[in-house]
Amino acid sequence: MTKKLRIKPAATADAVITYTVLIAVSFLFLFPCLWLVLASFSGSGSIYSFSGFFPGSFSLSSFGALFTDTAMYNYPKWFMNTLFIAVMSCIIGSVLVLLTAYVMSRFKFKGRKALMRGTLVLGMYPSFMGMIAVYLLMTQFGMVNTHWGLILIYSAGAPMGYMVQKGFFDTIPYAVDEAARIDGASSLTVFLRINLPLSLPIIVYTSLSAFTWPWSDFILPKLLLKQKDLYTVAVGLMSLGETEFARFAAGSVFIGVPIVILYFCLSKFLVSGLTAGAVKG
Amino acid sequence: MLKRAAAIGLHAILIIGLIGFFGFRGNISRSEAAESSIAASAYSPRFTGELEHGVTIRVLENDTAIQQGYFEELIDAFNAAYAEQGIKAVDANMDQYLDLENDGPYGYGPDVLYQANDVLMKYVDGNHILALPPDALEAWEQIPASAWEAYQAQGGIYGVPVNIQAPVLYYRSDMIPDNWRDEWDGDKNGVPDMLESWGAMYRFSRGIREGNPAAYGYMKSLWDPYFALGYLFSYGGYIFGEDTYDIGLSAGDAAIGAGVIRQLASVMNEDCIDDTVTKNGYAKLASGEYFAVMTTPDVYTLFTKEFNLAGTPVDNLGVAAVPALPADGDLSGPGAELIPFKVMGGVNGYAVSSYTKAPNACLAFVNFASGYDMMLRRNALLGIVPARADAASEAGGLSEMVNKKLADNEIVIMPSVRALAQVWTPAGTLFSDIAKDPYRPQGEMKYTEAAAFQEGLEKAGQQIYDAIHTLQ
Amino acid sequence: MLSAIKHGNRKVLLSMFLMGLGQLLYGQIAKGIIFLLIQAMGLWFFIGFGAKAIYGFFSLGALVADPSVGLAGDNSVVMLITGIFAFIMLGLYIACYISNVKGAYNTQLREGCGLPPARFITELKDMADGGFHKSALFLPVIGVCVFNILPIVYMILIAFTDYGGDIVPPALVSWTGLSSFARIISLGQFAPTFSKILQWNALWAIMSTAINYMCGLGLALLLNKPCVKGKTFWRAFPVLAYAVPGFITLIGFKFMFSYGGPINQMITEAGGRAVGFLDLDAKWTARLIGLLVNAWIAIPSSMLLATGILSNMDNSLYESATIDGAGAWKRFKSITLPFVLFATMPVLITQFIGNFNNFGIFYFLRGGLYIDGYFLASDTDLLINWLYNLSIDNNYYSIGAAISLIIFAITSAVALAVYMLSPSYRQEEMFK
Repeated sequence: MTKKLRIKPAATADAVITYTVLIAVSFLFLFPCLWLVLASFSGSGSIYSFSGFFPGSFSLSSFGALFTDTAMYNYPKWFMNTLFIAVMSCIIGSVLVLLTAYVMSRFKFKGRKALMRGTLVLGMYPSFMGMIAVYLLMTQFGMVNTHWGLILIYSAGAPMGYMVQKGFFDTIPYAVDEAARIDGASSLTVFLRINLPLSLPIIVYTSLSAFTWPWSDFILPKLLLKQKDLYTVAVGLMSLGETEFARFAAGSVFIGVPIVILYFCLSKFLVSGLTAGAVKG
Repeated sequence: MLKRAAAIGLHAILIIGLIGFFGFRGNISRSEAAESSIAASAYSPRFTGELEHGVTIRVLENDTAIQQGYFEELIDAFNAAYAEQGIKAVDANMDQYLDLENDGPYGYGPDVLYQANDVLMKYVDGNHILALPPDALEAWEQIPASAWEAYQAQGGIYGVPVNIQAPVLYYRSDMIPDNWRDEWDGDKNGVPDMLESWGAMYRFSRGIREGNPAAYGYMKSLWDPYFALGYLFSYGGYIFGEDTYDIGLSAGDAAIGAGVIRQLASVMNEDCIDDTVTKNGYAKLASGEYFAVMTTPDVYTLFTKEFNLAGTPVDNLGVAAVPALPADGDLSGPGAELIPFKVMGGVNGYAVSSYTKAPNACLAFVNFASGYDMMLRRNALLGIVPARADAASEAGGLSEMVNKKLADNEIVIMPSVRALAQVWTPAGTLFSDIAKDPYRPQGEMKYTEAAAFQEGLEKAGQQIYDAIHTLQ
Repeated sequence: MLSAIKHGNRKVLLSMFLMGLGQLLYGQIAKGIIFLLIQAMGLWFFIGFGAKAIYGFFSLGALVADPSVGLAGDNSVVMLITGIFAFIMLGLYIACYISNVKGAYNTQLREGCGLPPARFITELKDMADGGFHKSALFLPVIGVCVFNILPIVYMILIAFTDYGGDIVPPALVSWTGLSSFARIISLGQFAPTFSKILQWNALWAIMSTAINYMCGLGLALLLNKPCVKGKTFWRAFPVLAYAVPGFITLIGFKFMFSYGGPINQMITEAGGRAVGFLDLDAKWTARLIGLLVNAWIAIPSSMLLATGILSNMDNSLYESATIDGAGAWKRFKSITLPFVLFATMPVLITQFIGNFNNFGIFYFLRGGLYIDGYFLASDTDLLINWLYNLSIDNNYYSIGAAISLIIFAITSAVALAVYMLSPSYRQEEMFK
């Protein structure tokens, strides 16, 4: 009884500190986002009429303009283009990167270490230097001005970042695989039936990042999409006039929404990794 | 073993032989094509004068023209006029700043482009745009020679000037004191002094600041080389002389011009050091916080939009040619002799892409779009300054003034050379350094004497030289 | 392969001559037809396209195009890239050829042991099991070859040409050997700027990686504490930051720190003087702001990653440590940190590389300045920004490619050394 009483103040202090830090961190992350959201509701449209951080008057007009004034800046179209590109690249890219990471983690084949070192070195090359070559290549494949060209590049580039996933697969004990192998399962089955279900957190992480890259990338679509009606949101927003900040902000807010929704849908899988029982089993 | 090695060898020889044979053959047919090429002439032989039938030409226009509805009017009128010939013009639907050098050779560029002269003339080197036949250009007589000059290279004409871009002053006419005829019209010519002389503008601005610390007179993002270079030009500076080896930022008394920039900065606030004023100028002129800003004629509609939003009558928006400079460069002085403010300008116009399939139809479009009626319409809707003399004199006012300045050689047209791209960053850094100077603590100021300006200009010139030549 | 040459029989020999023949004679119909098809496609490719492309790789063109008279000439850079592409296809062809010969020889060996030739179905099944790694890596490797390796090879080769300046298509580019490198070395201004930028670049990469990693891990641990209720809710705040695309964040922060921005507005209203957070005199404030803004952008994703990894940690270790009376700090130091470090060491290296080559941050926050004492660069520019100024802005592709090759050689040697010394590379089985 006395022991409990002694612990309690410490635990309370710990909780108070924890929550203070959490609130401070949340504020730091929230504030710029809040600023962007409120700027999108600005009544005047210009960012310079604000006093301090936030607009003096509010209205929905920028959102209205975003979806109705489409002659010049066809935001709904751009949004659908981006969604298509991001979803397709996310699916294909995630599959490729998970496969690569799994193989690199579980199979000890010849040349594996060389491959690992090779990808690391390739990652060091400044990527924009290669952009010129990517553009030339796409002109030769006839894939400029197509969304599939972009999807191809995003998906093909995804396996280069397999290290994160490999690190995760490395922590899944071999014991699990071996048990299944004794039962006569093939490598493919072990991967699909045993390892993937244990890897939900990293699948969520992978698909989130495979989605956000094409979703918010500016450089590649700018390079490969010449027609305004094929633009993605990022390219389109950058072409907005300099006095249209509220509209820019409104467009940016809408880019963020799908990622936040995706997070809330997937968040419960993010922490549902191995349970202690499965490891020892 | 020998047999098997021979089999592999045979396979290798087959592949290598194929590559050798077909690679060589591919090359031969190339050289034959070269011999059949046609000798170059003053203009492209593809302009035969015969209109192509049943073609669609993609036209790249600038965003403001599309937004304000001018472009739609233009292509509607053109399509109606050329319906019989089956020629149709459409919006190219591309980025107004596209680079034809990158897009054209691979078939992704427009047929007709509307861009600034320094951009368009960059395409001449690689023959990406066509030299136009002067005889077939309907606006030939009406456009002054100085505007055509911007499009001349290698003995050919590569574009048709449409509008002249030169800095002009936008100001609040209602903020000029009511008694300006007594106080602010020293030469009694019926024009307020602050619109005529930078000295008067400086004194007027200082007066405003002293009366109300939150109000400003003349404001400008002074680092912006497009506008700031004019102060150097006025006192003898230049960008390139004979060639790009001759860089003249510090030539003549250009240091005096740099001093003018510093004086102007001292009656503004720190916003003049970065891009802030360029972006907030529209709204702050409308709200009355600024008295005047300097920018180009084609953004007129952005001002009217902000005036409407702020509830300020658009009548209060005045546009004037830029003021003149004191010969000694002392803005606060008693008023030395005035010299004209030589500004940097550009000529926007149409050019025809070499990659078009219908050059003659494109030429017809360019002629149509640079016609008298369309020019006047463009001026009315977009507020731009027409390059056509007849349209400019009909439009009057600002258009006439700018055309006169061009004729008087007071507008230095941006050099139409590729190396110009290397000027902006060194010059911009220098001007922001100068603009920042009045806001540095007393001991840290860099530009307190004429020699410092000269040194700064020389250093910037050296950087430009390095950027262009050291790696060449 | 060598033993196939030494001991192969007639059928193997036929396969050596024409792909698939041996397989057909062994009665492996499906496999034989596939190899024959590959053979036919290979020949068709080289006749129609490959031969010309490989020839063009060496010549880089002979005919100058003049689009103004409709003369389509040679485009050197396209010839270079299609040449590399044709070489990749040639490599693929050789790989197919070798696997064809090896396959035929394997069948011969099986025959020698009295086994029948492998059936097509069995071989397909094997691709999902024993040869799983080959089948699984096939597509990723092809993709990486075409879209990552090919562009890099292209840029490396550009360093050995005179591409850039006035020599851009339609002008013809030619091979010039090492002259770009010679020019860089002979350039007096180059070395001082290079070393200054490299120092800052290394400092930046270390600082930003450490900040992002430690803060991300700390945040994940904080959110994992049992006393925190509503974890999904709290975690959503960093995710908000994650949801805003980087370039928008950078534009937003640049505005906030600009002279007319809200921060300066508040300072001046409080009677202070406006502060040039990012202007040309602001070397260290700009660097600091860069670090903070980068942290704001990167911490959420490193937190998400750490959360995922932590969920995979063996809790029983932790529990027994608690029972043994280990304090929170000790548990973190001896259990959590080694585990997370092990699982994320490769990530740490990728993040380090990403930060080392972080182009956007100072391009957006403080682009367009050349500072005294730097050759065409500013004091916040990283090597990659400098490279951009030199090559893209100023159009000197071959010089830019040569410099990037030098930087690439230095940085990749360092990264490779660190990686090969790291426990996650040397002892991958530690936690298995």
